[in-house]
Formats: sequence, C-alpha cells, structure tokens
Amino acid sequence: MSKPIPLYIKREIYSSTELTGNYFVLRILDEELALKCKPGQFFELRAAKMETDCSLPKLFKPISIYDVTKVIISFLIKKRGSGTNSLSKSTTTDLLEMIGPLGNGFPIVSGRNVLLVSGGIGYPPLSYLYKELIAQNQIYWIHGGGGSNDVFPCNEVWTIDGSYGNKGMVTENLENILTEKKIDLIYSCGPIPMLKECFRKASKLNIEQYCSLEAYMACGIGSCYGCAVPIGKNDQWNYLRVCQEGPVFNAEEVLWNLL
Amino acid sequence: MEPSVNKLQTSLGRIMLQSPITVASGTFALDNLKIVEQNFLGAFVCKTITRHPKKGNPPPRLFETEAGLLNSIGLQNPGLDKFIAEDLPVLKEKLDVPLIVSFSGSSYAEFAEMLETLEKQEGIAGYELNVSCPNVENEGIAFGVNPDIVHQLCKQLAPLTERELIVKLSPNVSDIGMIAKAAEEGGATAISMINTVWGMAINYQNGKSMLQKGIGGYSGIGIKPIALALLYQAAKVIHIPIIAMGGIYKWQDALEFFWAGASAISLGTANFIDPLAVQNVYAGINAFLQERNITLSDIVGKYELE
Ligand SMILES: Cc1cc2nc3c(=O)[nH]c(=O)nc-3n(C[C@H](O)[C@H](O)[C@H](O)COP(=O)(O)OP(=O)(O)OC[C@H]3O[C@@H](n4cnc5c(N)ncnc54)[C@H](O)[C@@H]3O)c2cc1C
Ligand SMILES: Cc1cc2nc3c(=O)[nH]c(=O)nc-3n(C[C@H](O)[C@H](O)[C@H](O)COP(=O)(O)O)c2cc1C
Ligand code: FES
Repeated sequence: MSKPIPLYIKREIYSSTELTGNYFVLRILDEELALKCKPGQFFELRAAKMETDCSLPKLFKPISIYDVTKVIISFLIKKRGSGTNSLSKSTTTDLLEMIGPLGNGFPIVSGRNVLLVSGGIGYPPLSYLYKELIAQNQIYWIHGGGGSNDVFPCNEVWTIDGSYGNKGMVTENLENILTEKKIDLIYSCGPIPMLKECFRKASKLNIEQYCSLEAYMACGIGSCYGCAVPIGKNDQWNYLRVCQEGPVFNAEEVLWNLL
Repeated sequence: MEPSVNKLQTSLGRIMLQSPITVASGTFALDNLKIVEQNFLGAFVCKTITRHPKKGNPPPRLFETEAGLLNSIGLQNPGLDKFIAEDLPVLKEKLDVPLIVSFSGSSYAEFAEMLETLEKQEGIAGYELNVSCPNVENEGIAFGVNPDIVHQLCKQLAPLTERELIVKLSPNVSDIGMIAKAAEEGGATAISMINTVWGMAINYQNGKSMLQKGIGGYSGIGIKPIALALLYQAAKVIHIPIIAMGGIYKWQDALEFFWAGASAISLGTANFIDPLAVQNVYAGINAFLQERNITLSDIVGKYELE
C-alpha cells in the first residue's frame, strides 16, 4: 500500500476572531487543502496545545467548513464544552491538529428554487453551500437561534426568545415560504427536532430535501462506528456512519422516529 | 558493521510479527492507513464479525469521560458472508501484514461453523475469538466469563485450524487467571486481553445516561492499571503468548505491558486520541531498545516486584 495521504496535519492558526454569544471563527492558510474542500464537509479539529494544556489529551471535535477562499479555510465554532473551549483559546502561532476534509458534502445543483434552513450551529455549512449555489440558483435562507446572540446574516431570522427577528421556531412559517417561494429543494442543518419538523412539513409537499446530521464522533474516518444513525426505507435500513456516509443524507431516508 | 537485527520482532505462536504493535478490534480500519504507515504494524485485527449481520445499538453510542471512552457500538457488522465476499478481498489486497480475523458466535456450533468457513479462505493468519457474546446454550451468559465454557470452546475449535487461535478475554470476571488457563488447556495458541470494562456516565443536570444503552464498554487511558494487573495475573499462570491492550497510549505504556509479560500489544482508543499512535509508539519502543542495545524478548515478562 502506498504512503498515507496527508489526511492528518498540523497547521498554524492564521487568525482567531471572537464573535458575540460564545461564537468564534478560526482560520488556517493552506491552498492545497482549500482546493480539496466541498460544502457540507467537515474536519476533525483539536487545539494542539490540548496535549500540554491538560494532562490527558481528548478526542478531536467535528467542525464543518464555514468558508473557503483561495487559500484560507474558516471554521465558525460555538463554545460548548472542553474541546471547543480549548479551540477558542488557541491564538495565532498555536497549532491546530486537523483530520480531513471528511464526509460526503451537499449535492451541488443549478436552476433550482432553494431553501436553506439552519438552526444554531447548523449555520456554518450552509454558509459555504450558499456561496457555491448562489450564482446558479434562487436561494431563500431562514435561520433560527435561541436569542439575538445566535443569529447570522440570512433572509429571515427567528429567535425563540423574540430578541431578534421573528419570535418562534425557524420552522414556524415553513409551509407559507415553501409555496410562496415555489421552493423545490431544501438543505437543512441544525438540531434534530428542527430537522424533523422541517422534514415533516416539506415532505407533505414532496419537496426534495437534504439534511446534515450531527453525531458524537471518535475517529471521524469510519473505523469506530460510533457516529451511526438509522438510514434507509421502512424495514430496509441500517445504521450508517455520519462521518463516512454522511453527514449529509437525503431527509427521506433518515428514520426520524428512531433518532 | 553488525548485521541489522530487528529488535522489535516478536512471535505469536505460529506467526512472526515484524512489529509488536497490533490494533484493537473495532478501533482501526483500512481507512486508518490513510494516516498511518502500515509497516509499523505487526498485524491487523479486523472488527469483530458475527454469523449474521448486526445492526448494532441505537445512538448515542459514544461518550468521552475524564479519562477514557465509553462505547456501546453493539458489534455492528455486515455478517460473515458479506465480510468474505466484500471486505476480505480488499483486506487481502491492501494489507502487507498478517491479518487476524476477530469473530464471535452465540453457540459452540456457530463458532465452529464460522471457523470452518473462514478456514476455506486464504490470506488469514489467525483468529481472535471475541467471547463477549451471550452464549445461547448457557442461559445467555457471555462465553468469556466461565472457564469451563472457554475451555470447551477452545477444545472444539483448536483441532479445526492450523492458524493462530487467539482468545480475547473480558476483564469483567472474578478470576482472569483461571479463564486464561482454561483457554490454554483447551488449545488456544495465544490470549489477547483485555476487552472493555463495564462503565457508565450520567448527565448530572437531567439524570439521563450519556449512552442510549446506559452501560457501555470503557476503554482508554483510565483502564490501563486494570489491564496491567489482569495481564500480570494471567501471565503468571499461562505459557502461551499474550497480546495486551487496555489504555495503551504512549510507548512508555507499551513497555510496562512488555515487562509484565505481553509478547505484543494492541492500540485501541489511542488511535482516536493520537492518529499517529502506531508510528509514535513504534518509534519510542525502538529508540528504547536501541539505546540499551537489547531486543524486545529481553524484557518480556521480566518485571520485578519491588
Ligand atoms: C459533521 C458535524 C459538523 C459540525 N460542525 C460544527 C460547526 O461548524 N461549528 C460548531 O460550533 N459545532 C459543530 N458541530 C458540533 C460540534 O462538533 C460539537 O459542539 C462539539 O463536538 C462539542 O465538543 P466539546 O468538547 O466542546 O463539548 P462536549 O463537552 O463534548 O459537549 C458539550 C455538550 O454537547 C453535546 N455534544 C457534544 N458533541 C456533540 C455532537 N457531535 N452531537 C450532539 N451533541 C454533542 C454533549 O453531549 C454535551 O451535552 C458539528 C458536529 C458534526 C457532527
Ligand atoms: C469503539 C470501539 C469499538 C470496539 N469494538 C470491538 C469489537 O468489535 N471487538 C472486540 O473484540 N473489541 C472491541 N473493542 C474493544 C477494543 O478492541 C479493546 O479491547 C479495548 O478498547 C481496550 O483497549 P484500548 O483501551 O486500547 O482501547 C472496541 C473498543 C472501542 C473503543
Ligand atoms: S466517528 Fe468513527 S465511524 Fe464515524
């Protein structure tokens, strides 16, 4: 077997920017790697200083690709626990351990009326997707978050506490949007209940939809089967790996009642 | 100049290993070889297969604790037939190191049937019997917790193969020495140990368990002292080689296990924490042996009680 391909690398952090509401953006500079990325793919990331910071190094964390320019790859991350917190503390000159790019990515289409539905930290992969789709498609983007700290640029914002945009869940007005905008394709990423509700409403209208799922991961490369989700039709289903066969699945094939 | 000798060479009964480092079943697949160079590996152990396909357990299946990992994968695998038709040809093509097939059955007959089927395939150097599955003939208790059952199983399987027959022991037993001895006397040619330790984690805020199944298998750094003590106990009473695993992460950990009696070691959870673990552990052991100008066999089982 030939020499391993450079799937695991360490790169210096090019910039780290704090945003409001526990979010931050990490950027790395790597033209070769940038060329390999596709919307919907992710990296397994870890702050290299995690090894020296704590006596016990921990698992890598799956983080979507938020943006890719010619030479820069960006990640938009929310501080949630020890892994993302230690990533947030990394500054320029610190090293980032990276495995990737991983996963299948979103199908890229043209000439469609597309709706993007994101919730919370489901925003970043759709942002990258938006950039790739906008020239060839009509796009409408709705985003939902807990409060004003969880909103990002899009066409329509929903917050649960009503502190910004419309008050309520992002899926609240979905039926109207689907018909008014003549949507024929949906991409979604966010918490499972949001994805479920989105599927429930849109499937009544037979609209094609793809969703990016989240799962707790150990290896990120398909060897541990830790990230499996139930995918298939009726009794013909199996647990497929979010890191390998996903994270993007056709929403019709996700067994939502088992999630 | 001295002819170059491979100081890390080791043997597992019927197979020579160019490196004492193997990988723990279920934690390392061919895709890992996109990261790690395989010539640092002594042997490749595949994920446990069963006679029929297994879907595995509902998610979440993983949770990382303060010192180690909990998993409840539930032996998800494509089943023996699909393994032979689809996975084995690829493994044979891609691997340059010996392949050890891990499998598990629910009755003596099923174990035997699987072994006989695998015997017809080329390119397999040995078997690792995962005896953690419930045994249907003995009220559903796991094969591996009862010395008589382990003995019976080995006695039935050993005459069916010339290949390496490894029995993988569970730590969740009261006397590991007795079980290791039962395997040896039954005809096993090597022992591997340990499988995961029972473990659990609960979200303190809402009282929900972190794994859908509640209790899972605990592996990684936190189980190293347990694995080492069990190895020490087993090595005292048997004469066949032992592949040790359980919390080995660095080369220094590996050396502890060699001193305690392991002929080879496996890296499991370490592959998730350090994607280059196989290479890094190899390099560390090699440097240690070179520096002292000794070979691995000079230290295997040479521990001393303080
Ligand atoms: C394909 C994929 C892409 C992702 N992209 C992004 C992204 O672009 N930006 C971003 O901020 N986050 C993203 N996430 C989520 C991110 O991986 C988790 O928030 C992160 O792993 C939390 O790790 P931690 O160590 O900080 O927190 P932990 O201490 O591990 O966890 C904090 C809490 O979050 C829960 N949790 C942890 N990981 C997950 C998970 N994977 N799924 C569900 N619950 C979890 C834990 O149970 C716990 O309640 C993505 C996840 C996946 C699977
Ligand atoms: C995700 C995961 C999957 C595993 N799957 C198997 C398996 O299929 N068969 C088996 O015998 N052991 C399995 N194990 C146990 C390991 O092979 C090993 O015995 C155990 O993890 C202890 O070693 P470690 O601490 O180095 O990981 C699994 C462990 C993990 C973490
Ligand atoms: S995280 Fe290991 S298989 Fe997906």
